[in-house]
Amino acid sequence: MARLRWRRAPGRPARLAAPPGPAQVQARHWDVVVLGGGNAALTAALAARDAGASVLLLERAPSDMRGGNTRHTRNIRCVHAAADAYCSGPYPRDEFWRDLCGVGEGPSNAELADFTVRDSESVPGWMSAHGVRWQPPLTGTLHLGRTNRFFLGGGKALVNTYYQAAYRSGVVIADSAPVTGLDFTGDRCAAVIAEVSGRPYRVTASAFVCASGGFEANIGWLQRYWGSAACNYIIRGTPFNDGTVLAELYAAGAGRAGQEKGFHAIAVDSRAPRFDGGIATRLDSIPFSIVVNAAGERFADEGEDLWPKRYASWGRMVAMQPGQSAYSLWDSKSDGLFLPPMYEVTTAGSIGELATALELDPQAVCRTVAEYNQAVVDGSFDPAILDGCHTAGLTPPKSHWARRLDTPPFRGVAMRPGITFTYLGVSVDGTARVVRQDGSRFCNLFAAGEIMSGNILSTGYLAGFGLTIGSVWGRLAGTLAAGVAYASQ
Amino acid sequence: MYTPPHEFAINLPPVLSAARVATSSDYVRVPCGRRAMGGWRGAFATLAVSLAAVAAVALVTGGPRQLLASRGTARSPYAIIPYPALLALLAVPTVFALAGMVRAAIRYWRDAVPAASAVKPAVIWRAATAAASLRYLKGGGEECYYPSDEAPSGARRHLHALLFGGLLLCLASTVSAAALQDLAGTMPPYPILSVPVLAGSAGGIGLAAGCCGLLWLKVRSSALTSFAEATAKDYGLLTALLFLAVSGLAVLLTRSTSAFGVVFLVHLAAVVMCFLAAPYSKLTHAVFRFLALVQHEAEVSHRQLDSRGA
Repeated sequence: MARLRWRRAPGRPARLAAPPGPAQVQARHWDVVVLGGGNAALTAALAARDAGASVLLLERAPSDMRGGNTRHTRNIRCVHAAADAYCSGPYPRDEFWRDLCGVGEGPSNAELADFTVRDSESVPGWMSAHGVRWQPPLTGTLHLGRTNRFFLGGGKALVNTYYQAAYRSGVVIADSAPVTGLDFTGDRCAAVIAEVSGRPYRVTASAFVCASGGFEANIGWLQRYWGSAACNYIIRGTPFNDGTVLAELYAAGAGRAGQEKGFHAIAVDSRAPRFDGGIATRLDSIPFSIVVNAAGERFADEGEDLWPKRYASWGRMVAMQPGQSAYSLWDSKSDGLFLPPMYEVTTAGSIGELATALELDPQAVCRTVAEYNQAVVDGSFDPAILDGCHTAGLTPPKSHWARRLDTPPFRGVAMRPGITFTYLGVSVDGTARVVRQDGSRFCNLFAAGEIMSGNILSTGYLAGFGLTIGSVWGRLAGTLAAGVAYASQ
Repeated sequence: MYTPPHEFAINLPPVLSAARVATSSDYVRVPCGRRAMGGWRGAFATLAVSLAAVAAVALVTGGPRQLLASRGTARSPYAIIPYPALLALLAVPTVFALAGMVRAAIRYWRDAVPAASAVKPAVIWRAATAAASLRYLKGGGEECYYPSDEAPSGARRHLHALLFGGLLLCLASTVSAAALQDLAGTMPPYPILSVPVLAGSAGGIGLAAGCCGLLWLKVRSSALTSFAEATAKDYGLLTALLFLAVSGLAVLLTRSTSAFGVVFLVHLAAVVMCFLAAPYSKLTHAVFRFLALVQHEAEVSHRQLDSRGA
């Protein structure tokens, strides 16, 4: 089969094609089939198409939910040498590497993590070349203006831009097309079984890229590792990430990477929707408040470090608390220091009333607040730096921004763990190929994005890094998958 | 990601449309009651009144024979209605429209701009260029998702420019005709290759093309992102302007025929109607949006001065 040429019409708005019917999907042998429709999948599809392959992308969700968790993202973290219109300063590779090593237990696989960090430098240029536009960061963005690059219109706009680029370049996209099975012959994936218009079809290709996300929406799977606590988790993103393809890959002998309990989770408002609440339900009050559990007791240092460095650890901490709930309590001195919570904040004239309104034991909470207030050492309060306001002789301490809770009205909000995505996934090698349990690799099966994030992340998270993983590995997987297809002609 | 069908259902465009409709009704007082004068009924009523007034003046001043006579060469509009009567007839709706817009502008300005001191000529200029180029309707550079939800397009911006340019050319045509008549002493009808006729023709074609294009886009746009009352007013204005442009071009085309009289009266009625309806139509968006742009540019320049420590 001759090397396919693709058409590109730069700058003209795309005429979007009707989604393919079953006949179109099944009738031909594709060069590359991509499983998924988020950032990693779209990046892989575009990269494979750029390399000249015929590409089919199978997005499981209906078109208004296409794009997986990418819809809720806002920025990407990449190495860059100098300040520019969208980043206020340089972000060298060494600093990025130090930041990555400083979260959780550090990277799982140092070599693969190092590659991710180094390769990120060329990602913004690649994204711009495929139509992505950027914007300067606005308020409420965790002080990421130097290290992270914000795309115009957020993740949904990013997804839309990539879909337009995909249509323009000739990638064939099917939505509402879940993959229910993969067909293997030894170390080769021969085909996938995909549902198109509700009926299963066998789709064959020379190479496959799995970019179908984590399994965070599968409460049953989470329960295997977390027990009944998982029933109290809020899933921040798409309800379609139930790990179907991941389970199939495991069944076919794919090796595991990442920790069973590894995930990126934050503290979200307990009133958030069970699925798909996105960024708006995040709470930023914690450093300027005290946090108690359902028993009215503090359990962690609310002011341990600057919020951007700590926000990703609170999901896990709240998950460990009884009932997976925690409560952030502050007084009127802290009003205006953080983005107002999306839902109404509980307000009361006294700590006891606040506790009762939040269904906590008022005596326990008053005792905790009294102990805390007594331990506060006066200092000069400065929310922008690690200031001198701390507690003395209190366990757990509050190391910074500690002020007495003494000025009514008092406010509080109930929180739950919000899971963004799970890290446990398939093991890959340096070519993005999925590695088998016996250490050999599948010759034509690649993975990118959340489904292989466990190769990089152990626990803990760095803001904007999920997209870095998806873009770096998606680009690699798509390019090499096209190469496999070309070589197999 | 929060747009419908997400449960948060954040849908900004119709909210902003509703806010604009509310602004218009807050700052423009309607004399005869909104319900009676609203919608197509009000538009046709105004058109009927205009036609009647125009026809009455024509019959009284010139008579039916002048109206239907044909000369074989281009005729002057003053043969249908003499100049003083025409001036008097058009002065009423023009003054009415201008007064209504100015009054609305003053009331809006008082509420919207507390610090008028920040408004300098440079600020006005920036606002004017922003209005002319629709600078803030470019979606941050990638254009807006209109009419398609799938891909962005600059079509609405370009068609609006065509429409606005056409309107300006029609204004230029009237002004140049007045200049030719009052300063140079040349009376209409003007030859084809004259400023009034060329400007008016180009203006009419541009206006008609812009209206047709915008109507076409609107028909294809998504109902989810529109606010019903605003959409109705949009359709009303575009149809009225299209009628104005087409009737004007028809005047040019029939000026040597016996139909000239009637066609001219129809066009005149369209002009009168447009002016009478202007303060209550979507045409007021020009006023409110421009003032909002002035306020925005004033705020921006004020912030820049602040940050420079001036």
